[in-house]
Amino acid sequence: METTDQAMESKYYRKLNGDTVLVVGMLALLVGAEGFVIYKVLSETWKISSGFFYLYVIFMGLIVSIEAIGCLRVRESIKNHMFEYKYYD
Amino acid sequence: MSEHNENASLVKTLRPFHVWALGVGIVLVGEYMGWNFTIAKGGVLGSLLAMLVAGTMYVIIALCASELGSATKLAGGPYDWARLFVGPGAAAIVGLAVYMEYIALEAADAIVVASIAQSIFPDLQVYPVTLLVIALLTFINYRGVVAALTLNFVLTMIAFIAIVVFFFTTASGGVNIHPEYLFQGALPNGMIGLFAALQFGPWFYLGIEGAAMCAEECKHPSRAVPLGQQAGMITLLIGAAMTLYLCSVLIPTDILGVSVYPLFEAAQNSGIFIFIAALGLGTFLTCVASANGCVCDSSRSWFALSRDNYVSSWFSAVHPRYNTPYRAVIFTMPVAIGFAFSGFLDQVITFSIVSGLLCYVLIPFSLIRFRNLFPQSTSKVRPFVGPLQPYIAYFAIAIAITILSTLFWGYKYNLIFAFVFYGIAYFYFSHRQKSSRTENNWAEMGWPSPSGSENGRIGKEAIGIGDD
Repeated sequence: METTDQAMESKYYRKLNGDTVLVVGMLALLVGAEGFVIYKVLSETWKISSGFFYLYVIFMGLIVSIEAIGCLRVRESIKNHMFEYKYYD
Repeated sequence: MSEHNENASLVKTLRPFHVWALGVGIVLVGEYMGWNFTIAKGGVLGSLLAMLVAGTMYVIIALCASELGSATKLAGGPYDWARLFVGPGAAAIVGLAVYMEYIALEAADAIVVASIAQSIFPDLQVYPVTLLVIALLTFINYRGVVAALTLNFVLTMIAFIAIVVFFFTTASGGVNIHPEYLFQGALPNGMIGLFAALQFGPWFYLGIEGAAMCAEECKHPSRAVPLGQQAGMITLLIGAAMTLYLCSVLIPTDILGVSVYPLFEAAQNSGIFIFIAALGLGTFLTCVASANGCVCDSSRSWFALSRDNYVSSWFSAVHPRYNTPYRAVIFTMPVAIGFAFSGFLDQVITFSIVSGLLCYVLIPFSLIRFRNLFPQSTSKVRPFVGPLQPYIAYFAIAIAITILSTLFWGYKYNLIFAFVFYGIAYFYFSHRQKSSRTENNWAEMGWPSPSGSENGRIGKEAIGIGDD
C-alpha cells in the first residue's frame, strides 16, 4: 500500500530498518556462538567425535538456514503489511 | 459465552518485546537448570547433539506458531489452531496438554523460588513461600497482562545478559577453564547415550510456542507474533549454546549431570564474585519469570477451552476493568498449589514434557491442515507466510515422535499414563462436541470458505481479532 505522507513513509522505513538490524544482529550472534561452541567441543573430542561429526554440522546448518530464511520472511511480511496495518503509528 | 464477555474483551496492547518476554521468560529457566540431565545421559557430545536436534525442531515449531498465531490471532494458541484446522478431539488434547504443561512448570518454578529463598534466609519455610509466590504472580496476572509481561521482560533480560557476559568473559580468557573436561566426559555411555540424551533436549526450549498465545492481546499480532517469536527462538538458541559451553568447561561432567543449578555452579567454579552474584540472581529471576509466564499461558488456554464450552463457560469471563480473563487466572492458583503440594513433582514435570511433545506433533499438523484448507496467502488469511512449508512441518513431527520414543527409557509409565489420559480426553470431547458442533463461521473471521466444502464444518465459531 502506498502512502503520500513522506515523513510517515520515512519513519516507517526507519523503524523497519530497526527491526532488520535487531534480527540480523541476533542471527550473527547465533552463528558466532553456535559455531564457536561446536568447534570447541568437536576439536577437544575429535578422537571420539570424528566418526559422526557430520551430525552436528548437519543440524547446525539446518538451524541456521531455516532460522535465517524464517527471519527474512518475517521482514518481508512486515514490509508488505506495515502501511496496511499501521505497525509503527 | 459468559455475561462479561459480551461487554468486555481482552485488551490489545502488547508489542513484540512482550511476546519475546513471554516466550523466553517461560523457557530461560530450562537453561539455568534441567538441561544438564542430557549430560548425565549422553555426556558432552550427547548433550550437544540433543541441543541441536531439539533446536531444529523448535525453530520449525516457532515458525509454525508464528504463521498460525498471526493468522488466527486467538488467545488459545495451539488449542485454537487444532480446533479450527484439525477437530474438537485434537483441540481438547492440545488445550489440556498446554494447560498441564504450563501449570506443572509454574508449580515447579514456585518451589524452586521458595527453595532459593530458603537457602538465603534459612528461617523461611518452603511451602508457605511457594504459596506466597503463586498468589503474588496470580495477582499480577489478574491485574493486567501488560504489567505482568513488562515484569517478565525486565527479569528475563537481566538473566539473559548475565549468561552472555559470562560467556564472552570466559571465551576471551577472563576465566580459568578446564577444556579437558570436554574429553573426559565426551560420551560416557557410548553411542546409545547420543540417542538417550534426546529426551532431555527439549529442556533448552520447552514452552517457546507459548509466545504466540498472547496474539489476541497484541496491538499488531501479524508483526508482534512472528518478530517476537523468532527473536525469542534465536535468544534461546544463543543461550543454550553458551550455557552448554560454560558448564562443560567449568564443571566435571559427573557433577554437572546431577547438578541442581548448573549455571550458578559454573559461576562458583569460576571464582569471580560478580558472576556468582549475577548467575545466582539470574537463577532466581528466571524461575519467577517462568512461573509468571506460565500463569499467563495456562490461564489463556483454560479461557479458550471455556469460551468454546469444553469446560464450564463460567471461566471465560473477562474483567470489565482490567480486561484480563480473571476467573481463568484465579483458577490457576488452586491447581498449581495442588501440583506443588502433591509430592510427585518429578512425575508432574515429566508429564509436562510429554504434554509438550504431544503439542509439537499437533502444532505442525495444524499448520499442514491450515495450508491444505486455505492455500491462498492473502494478508487477511495469512499475513506471515513461513518458509519451506509443509516439508519442515513433517520433519518437526518426525523429530517430536523420535524424542517421545526416547522417553520409553526410564519414563515408560509416565508415557503410558499420558497416552491413556489424552486418549480418553480425545474420545470424550469428540463425542461431547459432536452433538453441539456448529458450522465454523469463516466469513466472520474475514476468511473465504476453505478448500473442500466438507472441511467447513471443522471447529466451532471463532472470532478473528486484531489488525482489522
